[in-house]
Amino acid sequence: MMIPVRCFTCGNVVGEHWDEFKARAREGDEDPGEVLDDLGVDRHCCRRMMVSHTDLVDVVSPYQ
Amino acid sequence: MSYRCSRCKRDVTLDEYGGVRCPYCGHRVLLKERGGDVKEVSVE
Amino acid sequence: MSEADFDVQYIERDDRSARVLIRGLSPAFANGIRRAMIADVPTFSIDTVRFVENSSVMFDEMLGLRLGLVPLTTPIDDFEIGDEVTLALDVAGPGTAYSGDLVSSEPLVEPADKNVPLIELKEGQRVELEADAVLDTGKEHAKHQGGVSVGYRHLQRVTVEGDLGEFDEEETRILRGVIETEDGEIVPTEAFDHDLSERYPGKEVSVEDVPGAFVFHVETDGSVDVEELIVRAIGTIEERADELRTTIAV
Repeated sequence: MMIPVRCFTCGNVVGEHWDEFKARAREGDEDPGEVLDDLGVDRHCCRRMMVSHTDLVDVVSPYQ
Repeated sequence: MSYRCSRCKRDVTLDEYGGVRCPYCGHRVLLKERGGDVKEVSVE
Repeated sequence: MSEADFDVQYIERDDRSARVLIRGLSPAFANGIRRAMIADVPTFSIDTVRFVENSSVMFDEMLGLRLGLVPLTTPIDDFEIGDEVTLALDVAGPGTAYSGDLVSSEPLVEPADKNVPLIELKEGQRVELEADAVLDTGKEHAKHQGGVSVGYRHLQRVTVEGDLGEFDEEETRILRGVIETEDGEIVPTEAFDHDLSERYPGKEVSVEDVPGAFVFHVETDGSVDVEELIVRAIGTIEERADELRTTIAV
């Protein structure tokens, strides 16, 4: 629904970087891997949190 | 107990005779409103 | 233990992550420090949330859980375990509520990261809440952990044994961590792409652990800085040892 605050595996705070990652890699046309390197999200456990995430607020909000 | 009709969005009060049905539009889906109190949640 | 046994050298250092080489540790003590950094250094974390209004798409409990995971800056000297600080959040849509919108009653304790999205609010939705943060240790709940991915490796000594045979094929030799060369130089393996054949082309090398030398990788979630985390962790071990000593002496 919303990006998890922390990485499930290591506990690093990944939510912090979501807005920039979304703007540059999802809506922009930069390479997601390079953006994550740039943001300092190094470990693959934290990287999968960002790469595999989908925002669902827009999907569920009509059913309130 | 207060509810809100999901079709006409009007407030509905249920009594023991009418069954679960909106008296204004006849719709059978009612939503329960959130109470007015402060709700305390412990984070675990 | 005699004095001046220890030798500490920072290999990399940032405010939130560091690599430290410590010599003169036994493996048991090194692991004790690692565990203390994870479980025994207390940090503030939201523990109870009072929701006045929540018309967002998430349940109160889901929001509470997210709030609990937000790291809060923790000046440990000024507080004791069990102390509470109140924070408040009041955001109306359309827009996103961020961790930076949390208003703290205590200026020393505030969200360490201001940019964590808590909940996206649509037109007409609103979240108003009051939260109590409590100081506790990682033993109690993982949200109180100050250290993130704390670990250590042995320092490895690389010795050149001689030249590679004339017709021997040069093979890659992958090594991760930090090495010590024969001249006593300390080199992180990133410097040569983790490949010893890159640094010593055409040489036969041997690798062995240096006894008692550990390279710690320490990262924090922002609630305390790295140096404080290490010092505090050692402090908790000392406290427990003191306690044991007085109990035995009585």
